[in-house]
Amino acid sequence: MHIIDAVLTNDVVIGGAVLTLAGLGLGLRKLDMDLIPAAGILSATFFVASLIHVPIGHSSVHLIMNGLAGLILGWAAFPALFVGLLLQAIFFAFGGITVLGVNAINIAGPAVIVGLLFRPFVIGASSAIKAAILGGVSGALAISLTTLFVGISLALSEESLIPAVKLVFLAHIPVMIIEGLLSAAAVYLIYTVKPELFDVMRQIDDTKDEMEG
Amino acid sequence: MTFFGNLFVKFSLILSLAIGLFVGAFALSSPAFAHKVIASAYADGDAIEGEIGFSNGTMAKNVVVEILDDSGTKLGEVTTDGEGIFRYQPTKAIALTFRADLGQGHVAVYRMTEDDLPQMDGISVTQETSTPASSVSSQDATSSSDTAALVMSESAIASLVQHIIKAEMAALQSDLRKAVRLETKPLRKEIAAYKEKNDLQTILGGVGYIIGLFGIGFYVVARREANKVKKVTS
Repeated sequence: MHIIDAVLTNDVVIGGAVLTLAGLGLGLRKLDMDLIPAAGILSATFFVASLIHVPIGHSSVHLIMNGLAGLILGWAAFPALFVGLLLQAIFFAFGGITVLGVNAINIAGPAVIVGLLFRPFVIGASSAIKAAILGGVSGALAISLTTLFVGISLALSEESLIPAVKLVFLAHIPVMIIEGLLSAAAVYLIYTVKPELFDVMRQIDDTKDEMEG
Repeated sequence: MTFFGNLFVKFSLILSLAIGLFVGAFALSSPAFAHKVIASAYADGDAIEGEIGFSNGTMAKNVVVEILDDSGTKLGEVTTDGEGIFRYQPTKAIALTFRADLGQGHVAVYRMTEDDLPQMDGISVTQETSTPASSVSSQDATSSSDTAALVMSESAIASLVQHIIKAEMAALQSDLRKAVRLETKPLRKEIAAYKEKNDLQTILGGVGYIIGLFGIGFYVVARREANKVKKVTS
């Protein structure tokens, strides 16, 4: 899932870096004090989850958990996932420093998209089951969007990689299912045990709206 | 804080459970390509030999390797054999970059500096050894009846023997290199695998960094909020 150094052309690398800087700026502004502990936990979750590789077919896959991060953090998922990616690149040479921007877009981008799409519905869900289903859908969708983003960035650099991208997508179907279930379980748990987190999320959305309005 | 403390415990519980399931579900599937690509190249005689493979020991078979110079110009192209080994005959004494695309975002890159290039005078070494030897023999021939010839030829024999030994050594060198490479192959694989190992301490270190970074963030934001409150009250 992480693209390594020297695969992409300079244009793609620079484009990714610029987009990531913009995302980081926006994300840090939206990172409210009440969300910081959650952001730290989700960042650590991503960091650990994506280090466990499972060989499948001709490649290896790992969990990402970006859907859950996006759902809870919204734009703030950007800095959270970026920190995880940065440390992976430094400690494990997993991904690469130069392609950090592209990887951040590929992983945090879908998180933010999913968060913006589903967050209002999850917060407003009438029952734990409904919230969990929405959480599951967003978890699976985030992974499929990530494979799509990875595919696009590879295809922009080298067209011959497109068939391989299809393979990457197919290889990640089990990951989508597992992440969907995992996100659903997490949302269900939060809904039943600590619904305060949704209140924090809602408050932040509300105050932001008031400030903007 | 207890709220998030509780949440953290819950999160880690679900997470460990899910990861356990995930790993368990696929643990029995056959090992395939690992994530990392290893490439190396070394001088072998007057050519460059290199190998490309994955960190789990699988070699990259029948892969096209491009040879580039520092400006990115393509100098040539070779293909790896069944054991992931390729050979290239360098023509110029410049730094070379070997690049192989293994598909799915796997790219092997290895840069070879000028110092590591094969000695282009690999052939000239044997020439050097033969020139003095021939000159010695010609000296022998011209001064065969001389009394000084005995002394001359003694030193000549010594140097001749020396040159012969050198030539033999040169001839053996490629065999020796091959043997050493073969013997150290499992070692190299082990080192590569070791480098790939994500040990628990590093992972915990990373988690520690994350907690620390977000702690700093928390501090900064909290200070800002406190200042805001101060300004409002004063």
